[in-house]
Order: sequence, then C-alpha cells, then structure tokens
Amino acid sequence: MNTLPSGARRVNWVRLTRLAGYGAAVGAIALYAVWPWLPGGRGSQPRTIVLYGFSILGEVMNEGVLPAFQAGWQERHGERVEFATSFAGSGTITNQMILGVPADLAILSLELDALRLAEAGVLAGPTWSELPHAGVLNRTPFIILVRPGNPKAIHDFADLARPGIGVVHPDPLTSGGAQWAILAEYGSALRRTGDPEQAYQQLLGIWRNVVAQSASARGARTQFESGFGDALITYEQEAIYDLARGRLEAGIVYPASTILSEHIVVAVDRNIQSDEEQLIQAFIEFLWGDPAQQVFVAHGFRSVTESLNSANPAFGVIDDLFTVADLGGWPQAKREIIDRLWQGQVLEEIGR
Amino acid sequence: MSTSAKPAASGSSAALPVSVLLLALLPLLLMPLAAVFVFAGRGGLSTFVTALGRPEAQFAMRFSILIAGAATLVNVVLGTFTAYVLSKFQFTGRQALTVVVNLPVAIPTVVVGTSLLLLWGPIGLLGRTLDPLGVQPMFAPAGVLLAHLFVTFPYMLGAVKPVLDELEQTYEEAAYTIGASRWQTFRFVILPALQGGLFSGALLTFAHSLGEFGATVLVSGNLRLRTQTAPLYIFAQFEAGNIENANAVAATLAAFSFVLFFILLRVTARKSRLQG
Repeated sequence: MNTLPSGARRVNWVRLTRLAGYGAAVGAIALYAVWPWLPGGRGSQPRTIVLYGFSILGEVMNEGVLPAFQAGWQERHGERVEFATSFAGSGTITNQMILGVPADLAILSLELDALRLAEAGVLAGPTWSELPHAGVLNRTPFIILVRPGNPKAIHDFADLARPGIGVVHPDPLTSGGAQWAILAEYGSALRRTGDPEQAYQQLLGIWRNVVAQSASARGARTQFESGFGDALITYEQEAIYDLARGRLEAGIVYPASTILSEHIVVAVDRNIQSDEEQLIQAFIEFLWGDPAQQVFVAHGFRSVTESLNSANPAFGVIDDLFTVADLGGWPQAKREIIDRLWQGQVLEEIGR
Repeated sequence: MSTSAKPAASGSSAALPVSVLLLALLPLLLMPLAAVFVFAGRGGLSTFVTALGRPEAQFAMRFSILIAGAATLVNVVLGTFTAYVLSKFQFTGRQALTVVVNLPVAIPTVVVGTSLLLLWGPIGLLGRTLDPLGVQPMFAPAGVLLAHLFVTFPYMLGAVKPVLDELEQTYEEAAYTIGASRWQTFRFVILPALQGGLFSGALLTFAHSLGEFGATVLVSGNLRLRTQTAPLYIFAQFEAGNIENANAVAATLAAFSFVLFFILLRVTARKSRLQG
C-alpha cells in the first residue's frame, strides 16, 4: 500500500522506461487519431453535400456518380466538394430524416417514403414532383435469385409459394425493396389471373415460406449469400451488377410479370443553406444528365432516359412489366395491398 | 481483477482441466476470433492494406479513438468523483443513486440511443427548444460522445469504488490530524491507492467505447466521414457484402483490444504482486 511520499526517492529507471514506453504508445495513437485535423494539413474547408440513400445505391454513388460530379465541379469552379453519405434501408433513412438527420438530399426506394416525409413536415409538400421525371432517378425490375443450377426449379413467383421453398425477404417495416417485392408478389398474380383471391393466395403462400428477414434489401442479399433459403426476391440491379463483376453465386430467374421499381430523389429545403443552393441545384441537374445516367446503366439500373438502356446487354426481357401506377399509385397500393392484405391478413394468418 | 500469480497446481495435474477449458472455449471464443483474422487475411496482405487504407476506414478508426479518448477523460474524472461521493459520504438516497449510476450496464444500448434522441433530437424534450437556436448535438460527434459517456459511465465507478470502500478510514484520519486539507488528503492518500483502479477503469471505459454500437448507430446518423465510428463502419461494410473491408477494420480493432487488455492484465498483476 502506498503511503505519503517520502522526501528522498531513488530514481527507478525500469519504472521510468516503462512509463516512457506507455507514454510514447499513447502519444502515437493520439497523434494518429488527430492527424487529419492538425493545422496546415489541408487547404480550405471543402463544401459538403449530405446525401442519404437507400441500400443498393451505395456503390454506384460512392464509386461512380459522386466522384464524377466532384471532378467536374473541381474543373469548372476550382473548388472541392465533399459528400457525407449514409446508405441504409429506405424506411430506415426516412425514419432518421423524420428524427432530424441533416440530409440535404435523399434517394428513396419508393415514393411512399417521400410521402411520409411530406406528412411529417420534413418536406414542404410533394416537392419531388417538380424535379426532372417527377423525381424518379432510375428504375429496376424485381426478379428472383435462386441457388446455382436452380435445384428447386423455381421459374416464377408462383413457385415461391410451393411448400418446402425457403424465401429470404427484407423487412417491409424498414426496407423499401420489401414493399416493392410485396407488390410484385401480389401484382404479378393479379395481372395473370385477374382474380384478387388468387393473388392473395400467392402472397400468402410466399410469406408462409419466408425463413429470414433483414432490415434492408442489401442485408437480405447478404443473408441469402451466407446460405439462408432457396430464393431471394430482389432488384435486378443487384443481380446483374454482381454478375458483371463475376461475383454472382446464384441464378437469375425473370418472372413473366413483375414490377418496375422507381426510385425517388428528394431535396430537403429546410436543411439546405442559401450559400449551398447553387451547388445542390447543379448536383440535381447532374443526376439526370446523360453522364450520371450512363453510370447508373453501367451499374445495372435502368435509366429514365430510355435510349441509354441499350448500353447494358445484361438487362433481361420481361413480358409484362408493370409499375405502381398500374396498381392505382402508391397511396392506394399501400392501403389496399400492404396494410390491408399483407399486414392485416397475411401476417395474421401465418401468426407473426 | 486478480490473476494467477501463484498457480495452485502445476505440471501434469493442470493438463486435464486446461484442455477441457480450451475445448469448451474453442467454438465459443477462439474460433470466432480466428474467423475474423482468417477472412481479413484471405485476400492477401495487399487487399488487407488497401481495405484498411480506405479514407472511410481511416476516418472511422480515428473517430473511434478520439471519441473513446474523450469519453475516457470525462468518465475518469466524473466516475472517480461519483465513486468518492458515494463511498465517503452518508446521505439519504445514496442507495438509490448507487443503483441509478450503475444502470447503464443493464439498459440495452439501443434504448440508450432512443432515449438520447427523444431528449436531444429535433423532436425531443430539450431538442425541441434547442433546435431552433441552432444547437443540435444529435447526428453529430457531440451526440456520439453523449451516448458513449452514458454507456461507459459505470466502468470507472466499478473499478474505483471497491478500492475506496476498502481504504481504511485511519489513513485519512491520520492525514487530517497532521493538518492535511481535504484536497491534500485526496491527492496524497487516496489517489495513490487508487492508481490501479483508475488505470483499469480507464482502459475498460476506452475499450467499451471503442466497441460501442447499439446507441451510436441511432444517435450518429451513421454518416460516412462525419460520424461513422469503426463498429458502424464494420457493420455497414458487412451489410453491403464487402467482407474484406469489414474484416480488415474488425481484425485491427480486435488486435488493438487484445493489446489493451494484455496491458491491463500485466499492470493489475504487478499491482497485486506489489500489494499482496
């Protein structure tokens, strides 16, 4: 037990060296941590755009679209633009925005989330409809991924309702992709048979087979890749982008009838400072310009500029491609199909 | 934390229990840890270095160290003071306060995150009035720090208070009788006795802050290059299917924590040898 210090202390070299060693280690770690913020390191503070996006947009934005815009802006204005980005399930980022994250722009998987933002007062109204293509940035149809060689012989959504098939599905509470998938599961049967009861049976059958749920479409694919289930309903973009990189360890099944998802850009005016307006406006225009749209096509998204889509030969042919407008638009599809049928009846029936 | 400075049994008699222990720990602890390192090294050294060198990875690790350092500094002072007050003063409500300050261990970190959001966030109890003034700690480094202070608060307390409780009153009384002030008594009598507790408490706080996830994911907004800590980065990269990127940082963090606890073990072992 240590006591009051005595006057004469012998210098303990071992102890001193050890202390110096710890001190140097702690100092080195601290120096590493603060290095980028030391004065003199970098020039002026770059201008920053805060961008939130739904899960599958991470790569195409971070690796393609954003660097292209940065380079162009630097060339024209001699000024560095930085992007602070966050990618998660569409519902997750919508909830974060309602709670107040400082997003300047967000790319949502579906208009429904944009409507929620308007309802919560984050947006002044349906402001995205004033953007080019009514805010639709790009599109992609919903397809089915199966294990290599398709051992369970899955050829359409109807096969996913067969007993004994394990389906990996993102969670509709947080994932926009999951809500699109529900519309595809219900809508494809409705269009094939014209009978709401048969459409409901298909939706119910598929949901009986759901073996794993993830918060985002991306997360669901990671689950599927780690070996869960026999099939995954997901964006065509995910599949053909991986195929192009030789990373797809699954087969793509194109349903005869499926939905074409439309992804919406929203600008959060209340978070955009007046000195940022010009920059953000330029970025928005850039998003719908050919260079950015070509990057989307190269990454497997279908462009809103139809003529650009021939550049990607991997896009599959789908007999009957429908949009949410064919189901009466998002508010009605949400109310009738997701809330009433899926949440009210399917979940009830399967006891979740 | 006592270590086996003097093993009770040695030689062949230890072989059986040790191998049983190792066999039990293999699937529980050792193999999962090994998997992280195996996957991190799968692409070869160059892949590992590239993954670690990504600006987002570098930012995430730096940001985590800074937040952990700041949380440790604050909680070393605040935690020690709390332990001192709870241990040396008798007052009504002391028992209740002791329970309250230890609560963060029991509360799920996700709940900590939501409660901070519902207090400071733009729609929160305080945030509602602060937000129009331009004060918004949530979704910013300040919010992450607040979450980490909350979550790591009990560790300092847990390391220091038992020492204070056992510290015999007579030393302090002796100090007072020779005219020491309350501060001098604290500085020259109590503080030296606390050294080991302070050190292990600080390391525990630092290590827990470095690994904090549940509260951070909610209060940070998870912004790359702004508020994304190392664990959030690992999760984001893993979810995106970039397992190499995730594991490079995960392996680095794991190795770093290993070193931290190795130091902790050695220092406490030496302390107990000196004192015992």
